[in-house]
Amino acid sequence: MTTKTLDTVAASPGRRRFKGRLGAGTTLAMLAVMVLLPLVLPSATLATEILIFAMAALACNLLLGFTGLLSFGQAIFFGAGAYISALAMIHLNAGLIGALLIAVVSGCVLALGVGMLCIRRKGIYFVMLTLALTQMAYFLAYTLSDWTGGDNGLLDVPRPPLAVGETTLISFASPLAFYALVASLFALIYVVARRITDSPFGSTLLAIRENEQRASALGYDTRLFKIMVFVLSGGITALAGALYGMLLNFVPLSNIELLMSEQILIMTIIGGTGSLFGSLLGAGAIVLLGDLLSSIWPRWMLLLGVALIAVVIFMRGGLWGGLSSLLERRRGSHTKPHKEAGHD
Amino acid sequence: MLNVYLFQILNGLGLGMIYFLISVGLTLIFGLLNFVNFAHGAFFLVGSYLCYTLVSLTGNFWLALIAGPLLVALLAWALERSLIQRIYHLPHTFQILVTLGIALIIQELSIMIWGPVGKSIPTPEALQGVVRIGNFAYPYYRLFLIGFSALVAVVLWLLLERTRFGALVRAGSESTEMVSLLGSNIFRLFSITFALGVGLAGLAGVLSAPLRGAHPFIGPEVLGLAFVVVVIGGMGSFTGALVAGLIVGVVQSLMTSLWPQGASLMIYAAMAVVILLRPHGLFGRA
Amino acid sequence: MTDVLLETRDLALAYGAFRAVDGVSLRIARGSIHTVIGPNGAGKTSLFHCLTGERRPTAGRILLDGREITREPPHGRVGLGMSRSFQVTSLFQELSVHENLRLAAQGIDGWRALNFWQRLNKRREHLARADEILERIGLAERAGVAAGELSHGQQRILEVGMAICPRPKLLLLDEPTSGMGIDDIPSMTSLIGELGEDHSILLIEHNMSIVMSISDTITVMNRGQVLVEGDPETVRSDARVRDAYLGEAA
Repeated sequence: MTTKTLDTVAASPGRRRFKGRLGAGTTLAMLAVMVLLPLVLPSATLATEILIFAMAALACNLLLGFTGLLSFGQAIFFGAGAYISALAMIHLNAGLIGALLIAVVSGCVLALGVGMLCIRRKGIYFVMLTLALTQMAYFLAYTLSDWTGGDNGLLDVPRPPLAVGETTLISFASPLAFYALVASLFALIYVVARRITDSPFGSTLLAIRENEQRASALGYDTRLFKIMVFVLSGGITALAGALYGMLLNFVPLSNIELLMSEQILIMTIIGGTGSLFGSLLGAGAIVLLGDLLSSIWPRWMLLLGVALIAVVIFMRGGLWGGLSSLLERRRGSHTKPHKEAGHD
Repeated sequence: MLNVYLFQILNGLGLGMIYFLISVGLTLIFGLLNFVNFAHGAFFLVGSYLCYTLVSLTGNFWLALIAGPLLVALLAWALERSLIQRIYHLPHTFQILVTLGIALIIQELSIMIWGPVGKSIPTPEALQGVVRIGNFAYPYYRLFLIGFSALVAVVLWLLLERTRFGALVRAGSESTEMVSLLGSNIFRLFSITFALGVGLAGLAGVLSAPLRGAHPFIGPEVLGLAFVVVVIGGMGSFTGALVAGLIVGVVQSLMTSLWPQGASLMIYAAMAVVILLRPHGLFGRA
Repeated sequence: MTDVLLETRDLALAYGAFRAVDGVSLRIARGSIHTVIGPNGAGKTSLFHCLTGERRPTAGRILLDGREITREPPHGRVGLGMSRSFQVTSLFQELSVHENLRLAAQGIDGWRALNFWQRLNKRREHLARADEILERIGLAERAGVAAGELSHGQQRILEVGMAICPRPKLLLLDEPTSGMGIDDIPSMTSLIGELGEDHSILLIEHNMSIVMSISDTITVMNRGQVLVEGDPETVRSDARVRDAYLGEAA
């Protein structure tokens, strides 16, 4: 169960330096993209949606791209984050920070449970288990319609301001203000995730992805690492879900559906597994494509199917892989072109 | 009161046989080819729509019953030759992603061809009406469905147990070394098995069309249920697919009147429990 | 009284009625190269699996430095001073040779490897250890290459290199020359010989010329049991050993 990517090998000292520059470069590029997005796009709402899904894809990437775990369970955390934060705001009168914190904590706790169960199995049985749990979460949300609104969705989800006591510090009622909030949270998560993937913990995740048996023989308690990465991923995904509810002022049942998991997975893969910046690219490309095409050609999802197949078979690095090899060529690098798709 | 239960149990058997037909294809493909087909539900969909088209063009359900599955199998065969064959050697993760892409393409193409609204298919004339035994009445078509799929199950069993083809499939599922001994024939065996397995999903689609119609977004639901059956029965097991298919069908049918979402919740919970406690299912090999 | 590093007492591993390991008691002296040989199906690999923790023995005990480790999981044994190589090369194919070794050195960190806020280059000792092993196994020039791109012989060497990274008290080597070409074998033999100077080694090996030239003690297994044990000379001249191997040929 490995996912080969371009981001992982430092092929030579020269390349390692290049990769370092590329790493710092992507952080800058990411900041530039975030400032430009609302200016270039027709609406700040669209830009917000892109960043929310980029957050979810980034979290999915920690599992799939860095640890090699293909999970259909991301919708559980996305949906739970949306429902729980919305319910906390509606029934407990939670403020902005409170609602987001509740979402993150419940995402982490749920992911701890889901992770501890699922990592007991490997390969196809692991995948099936995540699939079964997602379906259970969906039908549970459907059944608890008193709380979730069932098929109609949970309506009237507020978008509270940042407030101290009764004093409003910043209101997020305008789309641009809310975009600024989401963008700052995304930037924070991106930088933290980058730091995590460059840590001993992150390097061990790659080892597990490449060869779990060997990692275990080297002294790593691989189950612990897998549970940890689940918790991280679950927390971030739940935050994205909570923000999505606030954006739409509404939590549709489809947030916790298997299709949501698939959508997040597709964004991650098309963007580039194993690359955090790739997740932004993937989410951006797909949300934009959907926005541009859905009115003129409702069957645009067909393209996603084609792209998914093409990426898996021809271009394992996804959009990010394509982009970075292009950059590398432009620099006239003399290093041997990196073998992209592993040993096939 | 008793009649209501009998009615539900018979419905459940019919539903269970549909589940069996879908799952046995999935399990055959997994057993022999070690291939995970996430596009399986989409082929069910194609079967239902082909039934709709053939019935509306010719007015003949029997023609649809024969031609529909064959066309689906042909489509699968072509797809296997052109694409699937290239990804057998990839890890399951990649197989899942590629077939997920195929499922998406099939779903969207179906909507382009048949439109986003579901189609209903009339019950064939010869099978309209109900059978009456005393004060118990049961639709002919549903009885036919149970009988016909039971017949298919028997034929399939004979095919697997009594023919050279079946022997090869069983040997191949036992060990990959056996498969490699077959040399060049292996690709033909794989193509045929894939087409057969997918064709069975197409047949299930045709058979269920007069009851449930054809809907463009049914694929993922069908796929999910097929995985439930395959996992509970044991991946790669014919008997498992049959027994688990019937259990799931009957349980679901009995619970529809009581608590339909509860039925789905329970079924997926059962799937999770089986994977955790008995990953090889009821009939799978350890 | 020799200084015993690893001891097994009546170790057994049964698969149903089949006893793959059937009451094996071994004593591996500190500082020695101790080799286990035997015909195919003698139980060497099953014994090895019990020692590495991949299999839980059905009976008996394993003691490392007098400490009971019978139920310790594979990853737990590294911290206690045991490290292993694999018979079928098992590397992180897509990662660089240097990163393979660094990860191997980092493995003894145990809980500390869960640190997700530290930068990798803060853990200089692991980087230094990787560099040191690179020199020692002669792969320094290929440090930046993905492990999967090494030649087969080099991969076998890296396999052993990763096993010594955590500075183990006991090194378990599972057929290190397996699959190696004739030309590469001498370099592996001399590497193991050198390692034997500062490590205790338990070796499973098929190649008799290597076994006879570098072992201090040889244990011959047959049908899950210890047949003969002694220095190479004793084993070479033992009639039962020849019978066991002839039995395999027949």
